[in-house]
This record gives sequence, C-alpha cells and structure tokens, in this order.
Amino acid sequence: MKTMTILVADDDPVIRKLFEKRLHREGYEVSVAADGVEAARMLDKEHYDVVITDLVMPGDIGGIELLNIAKEKDLGIEVIVITAHSSVDTAVDAMKKGAVDYLEKPVNFEELFLRLEKIWEVKSLLKNAGDLREAMDVTETSAAQTIQDLEMLNNGLQGKLERIEAILNDLRLDEYSRIEQALQVIESR
Amino acid sequence: MMKISTDEIKLITKYIYDASGIYLDESKKYLLETRLNVLVQEHGCATYLEFLQKAKVDASKTIERKIIDAISTNETLFFRDTGPFQLLQHKIFPELIDARSPRMAGMKTPLKIWSAASSTGQELYSVAIVLQELLGDLSKYTVKLLGTDISDAALAQASSGKYNKFEIERGLPRDKLARYFTSSGQTWKVNDHLRSMVNFRKLNLMQSFTGLGKFDVVLCRNVAIYFTLEDRKKLFNRIADVLEPDGYLLIGSTESLTGICARFIPKRHLRSIFYQLK
Repeated sequence: MKTMTILVADDDPVIRKLFEKRLHREGYEVSVAADGVEAARMLDKEHYDVVITDLVMPGDIGGIELLNIAKEKDLGIEVIVITAHSSVDTAVDAMKKGAVDYLEKPVNFEELFLRLEKIWEVKSLLKNAGDLREAMDVTETSAAQTIQDLEMLNNGLQGKLERIEAILNDLRLDEYSRIEQALQVIESR
Repeated sequence: MMKISTDEIKLITKYIYDASGIYLDESKKYLLETRLNVLVQEHGCATYLEFLQKAKVDASKTIERKIIDAISTNETLFFRDTGPFQLLQHKIFPELIDARSPRMAGMKTPLKIWSAASSTGQELYSVAIVLQELLGDLSKYTVKLLGTDISDAALAQASSGKYNKFEIERGLPRDKLARYFTSSGQTWKVNDHLRSMVNFRKLNLMQSFTGLGKFDVVLCRNVAIYFTLEDRKKLFNRIADVLEPDGYLLIGSTESLTGICARFIPKRHLRSIFYQLK
C-alpha cells in the first residue's frame, strides 16, 4: 500500500518525464515541476510527503532553497536531492540542512525505490506513534477531568466533615441544635 | 532478548528503588528487559544477576547512573498539556507579580520556580517562554528557574538545550520555535538568552531538599506516579516545606493529592487545578 505523494523538481524535461513514469508505475502519486519556483508554488498549494529535487535549477529557487521552503512548511516533508557526482559536497551540505538522502546522477531508480520504501516505513511508524499519542491524550484528558472533579468534590466534602465535627463537638449547644445545624451543613451545597 | 528471572526481578527492582525511589514490581518485567538488556550485554554479562553484582561493586557508580538513565522515563514535551501553562500565564504569574512587587522603586521582583522532575528540560524552558512573553523586559525581576532530575543523561540534554526534530515538532508552536530556537540542520538549540534564565542540577527526590531555598511555584508533574504511596506522602510533605506560604504547586493532570498530603488544598481555575498550602 503505497500512498505517498511525491513532488519532483527538475529542469530537464526528459528526466522529469522519466521520474513521472517510473514513480507512477511503482504506485506513487507523482507531480512534477519544471523549476524551483514552480515547485515552491505547488508546495504552497498542496501537501506532499516527499520532494525529490535537482540541486541546480535555473531561477531564484535552487534545490537547497526548495529544501528550506519545504522544511519551513512542514518538517515532516522528506526531501531527497539529486546531484551530479562532482557536487557531492553540496549534497552532504543539503543533508546537514535536513535532506533525508541524496542520489547521484544518473539516477538509479532501484536505489530510489528502496529509499522511498524506507521513508514510507518511517512515516508509517511515526503515524502509528502519533495515533497512539492522540488516543493517549484523549484518555488522559478524560481521566484528568474525572480526577479533577473528584479532587474538588473530595475537598468540599472534607470541609463539610470538619464543620460537622466541630458542630457536633460544640458542647455549648444542646443536642437538638447540634443535630439541626449538622443537617444544615449536610444539605448545604 | 535476554530473559529476566523472577528472582532477578526482585533483586533488581529493590536495587532501583534504593538508588532512585522508582518503584517497579513484577509486572514491569518487560520494561526491565527492554531497558536493561542493552546495558547487560554492553558490560559483557551473561545474566542480569551478574550485571547487578557488577553495578553494586562499581565504586564510580557509573553503572548505577546508566541504570537510572535507562529506567527513568523521559517522556516529556514542550507545553505538555496546555492547562498548566495557561494557568501560569493567566493566573499564577500575574498574582505572584502583584504579591511580590517591591514597595520601593529600584528593587527587583523575585520569582523562584522549580521543576522538580525536569527530565530533558522541555517543561522548564516552556515556563521560561511563558515568563518571557508575559513580562517582556525581565530586568525588573530576579527570576530563578531551577530544574532537577535524577538522570544524568536527561540533565545533560536539558542543559545543552538541544532538541531533535521529533522533540520540537510535538507541542511547540511555530512562532515560539522561530523566536526561541536556532536550527542547525536537524538540531534545534534553545537561544542563549532563554538558556541563561534556567539552571539544571541533579537531585534525587527521595533525598533532602536542604539548600534549595523556598519557591513561589513548584511543578512536580508525572513523577510521583513512579513512587510508592508512602514515598509520595513524604515527597509532597517535603515540597510543602519548600513552598512559600502563598506559593503554588502544580502536579500532573491525572494525579491527585487526596490521601497523600492534607497540607494542600486544591483550587480550580479555567480547566486546571493548582494547589496551595492551607
């Protein structure tokens, strides 16, 4: 069950088409952008689980900038950068900035699919943990409310008991008045 | 995973209790195994018993520290349930500032806050953020924010003020993240200013609080649940001793002081409870 949505940003139309075809065949939902600016615009409109981006693209938004934009929007978006062999240093830099992985050109798709599998596994685990946390929060909130009510109720009853005890021990009053006053405390809200 | 025997459970839980006050019974078999298994192997021991013997004769207490680090639960969040922080912001701090403001000009308003089981620091930093946002200019105040914990590993992280993406993703609003943290790659670091407001030190809550002084606010949330009823009674009684007469105590949202400490009375504000001395 692969339901991840992937945004591919690459200025080479041939590579773009290739990504689209291969990822689609693998069962992913793919969208493509011709440069960083278009990708940023798409990120703004829709949520993607994974962004695959070329490091070097024409225009104001390159791979690193796109990475920052994606992470700014949602830290949960995983970014894979594509790099030429000669610029591995930049790719490592991108990973320091939060990219999950990098792939060298020409892209080995089998390798890419493996990495996507891994990302998907981690995302599933995180979702699972998130669901559990949510369930725990609901339980905790409800338990907290009950405990609060009991705590306040107990405190009120404790106060009443102390007042009743004082009244019943008040030997200046006759028995009838003591009982009457004690009953008043019990009936008071 | 290496299995732990019933006899070993008895011995190890007693050891953990003596060292930390954390009370585990036989039902925590799985927890003991998952958290100690790695340590047992790391120290080249064939059984938990052998590992325990090693820990007992270790004069440097390194193994004891590792066991406590492994056993103590460090589940915490920035702004873990919003209730207490709204209480602090809208009720407790405003009241305290009113009460503590000096009659004479030029004197500073003292505020002393203690996070008694600070874990990796998120709670205390969250309190610091609330104070910072509420007061703005802190130069008119002498703020003392103390965090204590039994786990060295937790304290080390708290002092460093460094958090990973999962730690900051949960609970911390975006605007606060941008204002109080600096990111370097996958790590977010609390800004120096915020870090300079807080102090962390090691403290076993079973031991004496001498030297801590008195506090206006004590947060002791979700830690007493790991102690026996008797130890809880002692703990909250000693907390009552270090709380200012008009001070405030906050406990975990699912905790209660009923039958534990009669020196406190619960008060409800908004949807949260705080405690004050009778």
